[in-house]
Formats: sequence, structure tokens, C-alpha cells
Amino acid sequence: MNRTLILLAAASAFAAEQPALPAEEKPVDFAREILPVLSDKCFVCHGPDTRKKDLVRLDSFEGATRDLDGYKAINPEALAESEIIVRINDADDAMPPENAKKQLTADERKLIERWIKQGGKYAKHWAFVPPVKPTPPSSGHPVDAFVKQQFPEGTGFASAPDRSTLARRLALVLTGLPPEPELLDFYLNDDSANAYERLVEQLLADPRYGEHQARYWLDAVRYGDTHGLHLDNKRGIYPYRDWVVRALNNNMPLDRFIEWQLAGDLHPNPTTEQLIATGYVRMNPTTAEGGVIPAEFQAKNNFDRTETLGTVFLGMTMICSRCHTHKYDPITQTEYYQLMAFFNSTAEGPLDGNKYEYAPVIKVPRDQVSWNDWQRLQAERDQLLAEAALTFQNPQEFQSEAKQKWDKADKGARLAMVVDENGPWKKASLTIHETAKRLAKRIGDAKKVFTTTLVAKELGKPRETKLLQRGEYNLPTGNPLQPSVLNVMGSLPKGAARNRLGLAKWLTSRDQPVVARVLVNRIWQRVYGKGLVRTPEDFGLQGQHPTHPELLDWLAVELQESNWDLKHMLRLMVSSVTFRQSSALRPALNDPENKLFARGPRYRLDAEVLRDIALWASELLDPHMGGEGVKPYQPAGMWKALSHPASNTKNYKADTGRMVYRRSLYVYWKRTSPHPMMTLFDAPNRESSCVKRSRTNTPLQSLGLLNETQRVEMARMLAERLLKEQATDDQRLNLMFTLLACREPNAAERDACKRLLDSMRERYASAEKDANDLLNTGEVPRDKSLNATDHAAWTQLSATALASDLALMLF
Amino acid sequence: MNPIRETDLMITRRQLFGRAALGLGTAALANALGPDLLANTDSQTPGTHFTPKAKRVIYLFMSGGPSHHDLWDYKPKMREMFGKNLPEHVRDGQRITGMTAGQKTLPVCPSKYPFTKHENNDRGLWVSELLPYTAKVAKELAVVYSTFTEAINHDPAITYIQTGSQIPGRPSLGAWLSYGLGRMNENLPGYVVMHARSKFPEQSLFGRLWGTGFMPSEHQGVLLRSEGDPVLYLKNPAGVSTKDRRAQLDTLAALNQQQYQEFADPEILARIKQHELAYRMQTSVPELMNLSGESDATFELYGEEARQAGSFAACCLNARRLAERGVRNIQIFHRGWDAHGSLPREHESQCKDIDQGCYALIKDLKQRGMLDETLVVWGGEFGRTSYCQGKLTEENYGRDHHPRCFTTWMAGGGIKPGITYGRTDDYAYNITDADGNMIRPTKGKWTPGTMHIHDLNATILHLLGIDHKRLTYRYQGLDFRLTDVHGHVIQDLIA
Repeated sequence: MNRTLILLAAASAFAAEQPALPAEEKPVDFAREILPVLSDKCFVCHGPDTRKKDLVRLDSFEGATRDLDGYKAINPEALAESEIIVRINDADDAMPPENAKKQLTADERKLIERWIKQGGKYAKHWAFVPPVKPTPPSSGHPVDAFVKQQFPEGTGFASAPDRSTLARRLALVLTGLPPEPELLDFYLNDDSANAYERLVEQLLADPRYGEHQARYWLDAVRYGDTHGLHLDNKRGIYPYRDWVVRALNNNMPLDRFIEWQLAGDLHPNPTTEQLIATGYVRMNPTTAEGGVIPAEFQAKNNFDRTETLGTVFLGMTMICSRCHTHKYDPITQTEYYQLMAFFNSTAEGPLDGNKYEYAPVIKVPRDQVSWNDWQRLQAERDQLLAEAALTFQNPQEFQSEAKQKWDKADKGARLAMVVDENGPWKKASLTIHETAKRLAKRIGDAKKVFTTTLVAKELGKPRETKLLQRGEYNLPTGNPLQPSVLNVMGSLPKGAARNRLGLAKWLTSRDQPVVARVLVNRIWQRVYGKGLVRTPEDFGLQGQHPTHPELLDWLAVELQESNWDLKHMLRLMVSSVTFRQSSALRPALNDPENKLFARGPRYRLDAEVLRDIALWASELLDPHMGGEGVKPYQPAGMWKALSHPASNTKNYKADTGRMVYRRSLYVYWKRTSPHPMMTLFDAPNRESSCVKRSRTNTPLQSLGLLNETQRVEMARMLAERLLKEQATDDQRLNLMFTLLACREPNAAERDACKRLLDSMRERYASAEKDANDLLNTGEVPRDKSLNATDHAAWTQLSATALASDLALMLF
Repeated sequence: MNPIRETDLMITRRQLFGRAALGLGTAALANALGPDLLANTDSQTPGTHFTPKAKRVIYLFMSGGPSHHDLWDYKPKMREMFGKNLPEHVRDGQRITGMTAGQKTLPVCPSKYPFTKHENNDRGLWVSELLPYTAKVAKELAVVYSTFTEAINHDPAITYIQTGSQIPGRPSLGAWLSYGLGRMNENLPGYVVMHARSKFPEQSLFGRLWGTGFMPSEHQGVLLRSEGDPVLYLKNPAGVSTKDRRAQLDTLAALNQQQYQEFADPEILARIKQHELAYRMQTSVPELMNLSGESDATFELYGEEARQAGSFAACCLNARRLAERGVRNIQIFHRGWDAHGSLPREHESQCKDIDQGCYALIKDLKQRGMLDETLVVWGGEFGRTSYCQGKLTEENYGRDHHPRCFTTWMAGGGIKPGITYGRTDDYAYNITDADGNMIRPTKGKWTPGTMHIHDLNATILHLLGIDHKRLTYRYQGLDFRLTDVHGHVIQDLIA
């Protein structure tokens, strides 16, 4: 075997077992092996954007076999004489040309030659072919069957971690917090065969599940509490964030979840929730800078929405096609503007006026508690109206006029009728009139504290959309364009309107090839740390091929067939053996990126989770759900240093009381300057879509972990808890480790911790002021009945443990 | 493969992720295209595309758009046109912002400040009386009159010049440099940003101007602050001494070692190292900020204001100290140049803020033998109009935003000293050729004598040894560049 063959053999080692063929005869997989090479190295001149007539296009079989004055790039009649083969091997007249930035490797040349000699057949890029559900290669859990299939011979799944480690992993993946000690205990003592499944169900039912899962979505849709540009003023949009949490906790089918966000307002008689959901359409950063040209921002806002749609749902970069037909992916410039046309007729002005209430807006309850209250009030009202209507069965008491009015009225107006001091219910002195008065007052009171949320609304008469030359707002050209979807991904479903609702129907239709794959890949990514497609933002020709294409397709169809049931998909993934493997490295597999998934997930937790774990362990976590973004401590001057003097987010004023301890999901998100403890740990700024956070490792993170005020406060409150709940150092260590790692310390850890405790006790015993200074960090008063030396020493240890990988990592 | 070997390989790979003290491309190597980037290089210096002229860059960014009319671009003929409407052929269809689009007239507004010609190595340099100190280093500056952009409003314009795109989401120039250059001093951040004080902090700055967009966040600029901790969270909490921290870190390492025993994840070892670096930074940053070792001569040079943390002069002095310590990528943002209404009052104050600092920085670098390896860049996101915004009097006037030409200067680090580049018409409204004919350059095709903001960025990268066309980062299947598909290195500026 020559070197090439060895390389090829290695490259296909993960592929399904095949009878050994001589390399020349082994069928080349066009979509996986050839298309990425053509795309990366040839399409820049010979791709979809090729305009010169004499240049061959290599993005289709028809293009490649076109007769060009006697020769053909691919010559089906004489494959070996195909011009491609000649030119890629011709040193004097080479292709790619000598000065091209990207050259073919020797292996790629051989591969292309082999492919052409085998017929040079084209196939669609895999992601553009709607997924078909493959049969799992073996019995048992389908995920495991597909994963195991690609293991090298003789390799099995890694052993299972101990149950407590698994419980921690599971709870972190589903809820973003470790399991409560009682839940952990219950699980560890549950001998039943379905103990694990029961734990899964308990975690899925925990309202913190929705908060955690929502975060990923908010990154993708670039949720922020400010407009983002110029003044970066406050924006009234957090009810959208809370709606996402609620929808996920209620396990709203993802197709509906998508449809409401894109087009909730286009449903007949949209509900309040459907309208709140359309905040998605309004999420783009906006400006009201003095002197900006509205038409320019009408275009820019739409570019942003179109390109975000590409990233969030299509796993495609759209940006190229803004200015010219895509060099790599089959998207024309016209199609870009047709897609953009869906968003071009929304009613909001292109400039935000620096207003919190950037119209159109609606008024809605301000947090989860008021939302629940509001739901109850509405239920009461509905019941009352039903009772009030009963009186119509006794018509002589009423004039028919009232009945007619009633029939035409909406619920609010009907209630007003029952309340009316001159109305029939009053006249009849029915008790229901008095009840209604009280109810109406309560409803009125509830509405007084309603807050604003931005919503989408369609203009009566659509705006005209034209192709913009080079993406310049002032260079519209050609005929007006109808809203339309990308040809390569099918067409609008039958009967779907050419508006955002139709767009949503297309995204969630069964033959839309990418959306389900893109979504399921991101679900996989949050469970296993890395996606099946490692470029979750790009499923196009330049993206990475899935590590497990069949598994991805199986999951995508399963998502569709399960009625887009997110909890079902998570349940499925976490119940696999694949998920329940030890996450220790398996050096023998030489798979540092875990592309085989032959070990469990292991990654540094996200910024929000790091803070939440410490709040939770120290029992500071405030469970209040929803509401305006909260402002924990932040070093002075950070906003002022960069804000416009007229900005209403110029001064950061930290909240006081319980708000400081809310879950990090609720931390106020100023897009031009998010909280530094978030950005230090790779949270995006939410000015643009993020579907994969980086996970960096920097010295500044160490400084934040050990010195930031809230970190210290959480450490001393954890210490306080340990000192109060347990009597001996050993017991306290056990509790601390159980909280952070779901296990007790081993001998070496116990030893290291005790040494620190001893030295810190010694130090603080003779430095009372230092101990007190440390214990006065943060707002929460300390329990002064505790010995300060002990408390300070334990604070130092807690801070250390909270900064260690025990508390930083998913394992 | 044995486990140790695998671990070693992985550590090596991770170290490449922007931490190693090598040159350009060490971080870039970790990206899929890295090898491509390094494959065909003409450089004598490991890791760069070609031999760099500059080892580091100090970028003095004047946020808001300084008036080229009142500082650099001397147009005596405008005096004759005082208050008259700007001729239509000069405006030549230029779109103007909503702030002056409604004005009935666009009265020509000459600068009220006298200009003096200073000797340089070329045709001489006119400088207004607002910059007496900077004028003294005329022989070091390459002054470009013909910088231009398309954006006419602050947010898009500043985002454009600093990230290469008017819409947020791209890595900043600084992040690109961090990605390309790596770092020399492990005890200090590789990319440092300072905000200098101004009396008119109009217009905002944005995290994105030193942010990373889609790149890993380790490339973002670290703010060196004048309020509170110089680097965020640098100081130990009250009641915690250095010795306590040492003990904590030893325990932390012991706990993490146990994790390593169990999982063999090299990331754990990398994190232990980062904790140690943080510990060293707690010494190196205060040392950096401590000016007590600076001589009286230093404060004579920079001015007494340099003793006040947060002043522009203090930032310049910090920049020199950072440069001495091997930090390669330094930016100072100075706000307050957006003079729509009271230009004289505001610009006089602004110039006073920066003038001596700019001069001192160049002198100081020169006397320390560092100027020839340090690129200093000065400029804003656009210029200001030739016509007055609001009421025009001899004493007071305002100017709107102007994208078609504005003045930028560079010095040191491979720049031709003492030259001017590019010409503008009698109104400093349009770029012209040497014969005075109007040029309408575009970003798509470079015209000699002009410098689009992409050309500026391409030239900055070039001087640091980086080919702007080859420094790419793959995101969403595209090989993104700072300069998009544009940018031209202005060879005429290079020594």
C-alpha cells in the first residue's frame, strides 16, 4: 500500500464496514469527499457565482459536462480524458492556477481523478436532501446503535461513571444546576430498574429546566435588553425572554415555537402569548443616531434578520448573497432578497427613537408570578362571563339590544357590560354584577403594572422589495420581488401565504431539509458538549460533514415524527449508553475531539452556570422567575466609560436585596457592555447570533473567580452553610464536595483542603480585621454568631473549591 | 499511541491557541486554515507572512471624527467663500446626514485657526495652532489627507473602521492582531485598551470595538482602567493577602491535579497554568501602573497631566510602558470629537487633551530607540464637513460628519517619516489628484493617492508582517478577513 492508500484507509476507518476493495475501485462518496473540495478550491471561480460565459461551472453535472469547443470538464464518453483530470495534473497550465490561494493536495487530485473515472456523478450536498429515517444498524437504543457502529473493531463503550457523577451530569445538562441533595439521595437509594428514568422525569419537570434551555435559544436569537447601537438605550422586550422559558417548560412543540416567533401576529385573533413570541422578529440591534438615513437602516435591519434566520434555522451563511450570488452554496442574490422580503413589511419604523416602547408594542404581565395571576384572572373572567350569559336564557329581563351588543363584544367589553351601573345586570340587582365589579377592579389593578414588549405587526400594504446592488440600500434594481424561500431547500408548502406565516410553515415542513437537522444538532451539542456537525452555524458546502450522518438524520426525523417534542429528544439522548459513559480520556482511541463519542461529555460550564452553581450551593439563589433584567454587583464606571452622555444605560446601578441573587439568565444584558463576569467566560454580546460559544481558558478568568465581589460573597455564604449544617470539618468537606461534585472527597483532596483550613485558621486567628473584612464582602449580612476565624478560613476554602474544576466542569 | 504522547500533543495544540510567545499565526495555526496561512511565506521571522517592519502598534483613536479642517488640512481659499453656499459641483451628489440635510444653505466654513508650515522631509506640513506640540514632530509623521469611508454616522462608521463591517458581529482590528500576533509577555495581556478622559464624552464606544465577534473571546482587548482595579478583578478581596492567595492556588492546583488523575484532560493542566499567570499578573500589572520610577524628565515631556490616571497623557505614558514590556497591541480611545455645534470650544479642549501626549509618545519612543519598531496610528472614523452646521459666525461654528476625506497620520514602525500623502480640493471636501482633479475612489478599486479605511487596516497589518489577504478566520464556511474582499497596502507610506 502506498501512502495515499493508507491515508484513505484511515480516513474511511470510521465509515461503515465495507468489503475490502482495491482503493481504485472503492466508490467515492461525492457528497462527503468531493463536493467539499470542489467548493473550497474550485467554486470561487467555477461555482454558482460564475458569470463569465466561457468559464465552466463545476457545481452541477450539466455544467461540468458542457461542451466547451471540443472538450469537456467531465467527458462522459471518455472519462479518463476529462479536462479536469488533464488540468489538475498539468504543471504548465495548472488548475487551480499557480497563483490561486488554495491549491489541491496530491490526495485530493487522486480522489478527484478516481471520482471522475468512476463516472463523475454528482449528488446534492447532503444537507439539502431531506433526511430519511435510516434503520438503526442494530437493536437496542438507536443512538447507541449508530454510535457503536463507528467504533473501531474491538472498541466498546466506556464504562459508566458512578451514579452520583451521572446524576450531576444529567442535572447540569437538563437544568443547568447540580441535583438538590434530597433528589440525589432519593436517586442513589432508588433500587428500581427505572430509577434513572425517574430522575430524568423529575429534572425535566423542574421549572429550572426551561430557564436553562432558554439560554441557548436566547444566544441564537441574540436576545438583549438594550437596542444595541449608538445610545444603546433600554428596550422593553424581556417578556419575550420569559415567554421562551415558559414555552420550553410547557414543552411547546418546536414547530409551534418557531411559528409563533416568526409569525404569531399573523394568526387569526392572535393570543397575547403569540404576540409576545414575535419579539423574535424585533430582536435585531437598532439605532436612532442623529442624522441616520431611515432607508439605510430599513435595509440593514432586514439584512440582520435575514442573516440571523440563516444561522438560527438554516445553518447557512447568507451574508455573501447580500452583495452577489453565493460563491459556495447554491443561493443566488435574488433569492437572498426574496427571503428578505418576508421581513420587509413589518410595521415598526427603521429607527428606534431611543425608546423603550419602540412601537409596535403591547402591554403584558411583568414576570412569571404576575403572569400566573393574570391567567387566573382571565379564567375567573371567562367563568363569570359564562355565568352572566346564562341570564340570556331568561330573555324577558333583557332587551334584545343588550343581547345583540353582547354577541358582538369581546371579553373585555362583555365584562364592562356586566359591570355597567346602567346595565341590565345591575338593574336586575344580580350578585354577579357586584362580583364583576370586584373582578374588573382586580383586572384593572393588574394591568396598571403591565410592562411593554416589542412585537411584530404587518403593514397593511407590503413594502416593495428589490434586489440591492452590492447590498447598497440606495441601489435597488430590477423588478419588485415576491417573498420566496431558497430553491435549494424546497418550496413554500401548498396553500402557505407569502408572508412570515408561510415562511414559518416552510421552515417546519417535513421536506424542509435542514431545519430539523440544525435544531437537533444543537440539542445534541448541549447534551454532549459537541455537535454531530461541528460547525453548527454552517451546514453548507463549506461546513463540516457530520461525524455520524445517519444518526443525525435519524434524530432529525425523530424530532419531526415526535411532533417536535424537545423533552422527548432530550430524554432519548440522555438515556443512551453514549451519554452514560465515563468522561475520562481514552488515549488508546486517539480521539482527542471525541468524534467517536466513545466517552462521556466533558467541558467547562458556561458563564451563567458557573455563577448559578455558586449561588445555589451557598443557598443565595433567588428562585423568582422572569421580570426585568437584574443587575448584580459590577465594578464602578464600566458603563459610563463607553456610554453616550444621553444614553439611559450610562449609569450602572446595582440592584439591592434578592434581585442580586437571581439566576444568571435574568442578568441585564446591555449589548455594548454585557456583565463582565459573563463576557470573561465567553458569553456573546448578543449583537449577532451565536450558536456555539467559545470555551476559552484565560488568566483573567482566574482573577474573576477568586476576586469578584459576588464570588467572594457566595464563598462566605457557602462556608456559613457548611459551618451551620455540619459539626466537624470532615462532615463539612463531605457536604461541600457533595454539593459541587456529588461525591465525597478522596484522601488527597481531603488532605489538601484540611491543610488550607489549618493555615487559614492560624492566619485569621491573629488577624481579626482581615477576617472581618473578608466576611463583609457583599451585601448579605453574615451570621455573627459564627466564629470569625473559622468562618474566614472556610470562606477561603470555599472560594478555592468554587474556582476549582470540581465546580467549573461538566464531567 | 501512548497516553502521555497524546496528552503532549494536545497540550501543544492548546498552547498554540493564542498563548504561546511566538509570533504571527500561532493562534491562527489552531484554526483550520492556519497551515495554509503559513504555507507560502516570504518571511524571515517565524510565523509572519513577511519580515515585519513593526513589532507593535499603538493606535490613538479619536472617536467622533476630528475636524481635518481645523487641525491638518489647510485651505486658505475657503476664507474667501466665508458663509457662501458650498458650490454644487463640490458636493457632487454626496449624501449628507439627516442633521444637515434640512438646512437651507450649506455655508462654507473656513477654520478660524491660523496654520503654520513646519518642515518635514517632503513638501512641508501645515498644522493649525491647536496642535503646537504635535507640530514639533512633523518630521516623524506620515500625514494622509485622503482617508475615506462610506459610513456617515458614528456607530456604523466606528464599527466599520474597527471591525471592517458596518454591522456588528465581526472581530475587531485588535482581535485580528491578537489572533495573528500572539503575545510576547505572558504576564501581561497581549491586547490592551485604554479609555482616555475627555470633557466632551459625546458619542458612545462599544465592546465590539475591541471584541472578538465570532473569534474565541481570548482575543478580546483587556481594558486597562483608570478607575478601580486597572485590570478587572485584579486585586484580592479585602482581608486576603498575597500569601493567602498563594496558599489558595496551591490547594486549587492539588484539587485540579486530582481531577487530572481521573480524567487525563490536558485542559486541566492548562487551567492550572492560567491560575499561575493570573497570580503573576497581580504583580506585573501594579508594577506597570506604578509611575514612581519615571523621571522628572518624563513628566516634563508628557506634561504634569500624565500623573493623573485616565488622562490622555497618562494613557500615552502607559502605552510606552506597555510597549517596553512586550505588549504588542495597544489602543487608546479618546472621545469627544463630534463637534456639531460648538466646534471651537470643544476642539480646543480636545486638542489640549491629546496634543502633548501624542508628541511625547513619539519623542519618548524615539529617544528610547523604540520608534522604528513601534507603529503609531492617529485618526478617527470620519472627517467633518466644509460647511457649517447651525449658525456660522467668525467665533463659533459646527461641522457635520464627512466621509469623503479625512486626515489620519502614522509614525514609526516602517512608516516613511515626515511625508504627506494624498490631496484634497480647495474645500477639503473631495480627494483630488496632484493636478487638482476630483477623484471619486471606491473601496473596490484602489486609486493612487487615496486611502480607504480598508487600505489603512491592510497597511497596519502589513507593517506588522501580516498579509491582510491571508490572515483569515473561518466562520460559517467563509474565510473572513478584517478587510473583507478589499484593502490595498499603501506602499508609498512605507519606508
